Amino acid sequence: MNKIYLKLFAISMLLSLSSCGYNSFQSLDEAAKASWSEVLNQYQRRADLVPNLVNVVKGYAAHEQDVLTEVANARSRVGSMQVTAEVLNDPAAFAKFQAAQAQLSSALSRLLAVSENYPNLKADQGFRDLQAQLEGTENRITVARNRYIDTIKNYNVAVRSFPQNLTAMMFGYKTKPSFSVDNEQAISTAPKVDFADKPAHN
Amino acid sequence: MTAVRIKLTLSLCLWLLCVACNLQAQIIDVPALKSRVTDLTQTLSRDQLNLLEAKLAAFEQAKGSQIAVLMLPTTQPEDIAQFSIRVAGAWKLGRAKPDDGVLIVVAKHDRKMRIEVGYGLEGAIPDLTAKRIIDEMMAPSFKQDDYYTGINNALDQLIRLIAGEQLPAATASTAPADMAASLPLLLFAALIAAVVLRAIFGSLLGGIVSGGGIAALAWLLGVGLSAAILFGLVAFVMTLIGPSGLAQLAMLSSGGRGGGNPFSGGGGGFGGGGASGNW
Repeated sequence: MNKIYLKLFAISMLLSLSSCGYNSFQSLDEAAKASWSEVLNQYQRRADLVPNLVNVVKGYAAHEQDVLTEVANARSRVGSMQVTAEVLNDPAAFAKFQAAQAQLSSALSRLLAVSENYPNLKADQGFRDLQAQLEGTENRITVARNRYIDTIKNYNVAVRSFPQNLTAMMFGYKTKPSFSVDNEQAISTAPKVDFADKPAHN
Repeated sequence: MTAVRIKLTLSLCLWLLCVACNLQAQIIDVPALKSRVTDLTQTLSRDQLNLLEAKLAAFEQAKGSQIAVLMLPTTQPEDIAQFSIRVAGAWKLGRAKPDDGVLIVVAKHDRKMRIEVGYGLEGAIPDLTAKRIIDEMMAPSFKQDDYYTGINNALDQLIRLIAGEQLPAATASTAPADMAASLPLLLFAALIAAVVLRAIFGSLLGGIVSGGGIAALAWLLGVGLSAAILFGLVAFVMTLIGPSGLAQLAMLSSGGRGGGNPFSGGGGGFGGGGASGNW
């Protein structure tokens, strides 16, 4: 009689251990991948807007060569990176991806700042439409990033809590990277506003 | 100063410092969702509010999509986009599957507005279109301090755009979740099953059979595994109690539902689409 109870006890212990965090890792991992795909989607959407934007600006401000080239280069650098969910398991690749996107962001903001000097460009309906679309896309990127950060937080907390971290180690689930603020130093120094150089062009 | 006085002064300073820190830049709480048009600035008159509410309620009955308007003094310290996505996430306008909600936020003191578009309507109302509605319909009227006309015209245009979109048909009832509708039905089924099975199999076995049967039925109807298990347990317990206890439980459960249906979101999601503008 005792042997039967012992066997039942052992089996129930095994059954409870086998789901000790393993099942939740599956759903958390899938949620992390899904929110990462959403982030990638929105970044792709932004990259798709860039060629049209460059063409419109070229129509009015053809001699702003350095800014236009910078944007085109940043966009092609972003386009050449093959990014999938595997990037989440490789912190170096993740950092490279983030740096490339940040470069595109800063190139775009330079382009929009330069376009302030061209009233005809600003009045162009096509340019204003692209600006609206770009704004919308930037907002979506922000929302997707925030949701990704929340999802990753849940996943990382699960991977690091005891006793799930033992299951995580057994099955190879590591913490995934989260977004950091790009260019923390650049943000903390106030930008210098300089009205001396460029007179307004037409 | 004596030691006691020094301590009192220091603790007072510390407390004031804590209060001062808390007073800095509190983000605004998401307002409670009670009606389709929420005007926290008392700009619109009662008649105007009623007209807008009626229009939006009729649209929801006809099409199923939910549009809401929120007018408040300011969204500071947050950007209007940040605030709007927070409100949209809390209010969950629109139905869960098609995600067909739209939220208009007007920050009167900031002179900024935003149209927040749900995932499912991003095809009908792309960012450009939302921007045009803001620039061409809302901003000119708002500049004239005519908020009602601006909002009314914007709503008309949004309704026109959504009406052209293929969405799942609006259901007759406005109950948001299927669980609320199926709960009394399932309890009634459990009651009948319990009485019959108890008579055939006796208390315990009847309870197990009816519990399992009701759980399987509930799961097949699609209420979700944990809810199905709950129904099964309820049926099991009810069979053990016996017919008289069941009759009392049945009366309690049927009295629970009912009452007016205040406006509430349908579980729709938002992805940050839409446009902002100012006047």
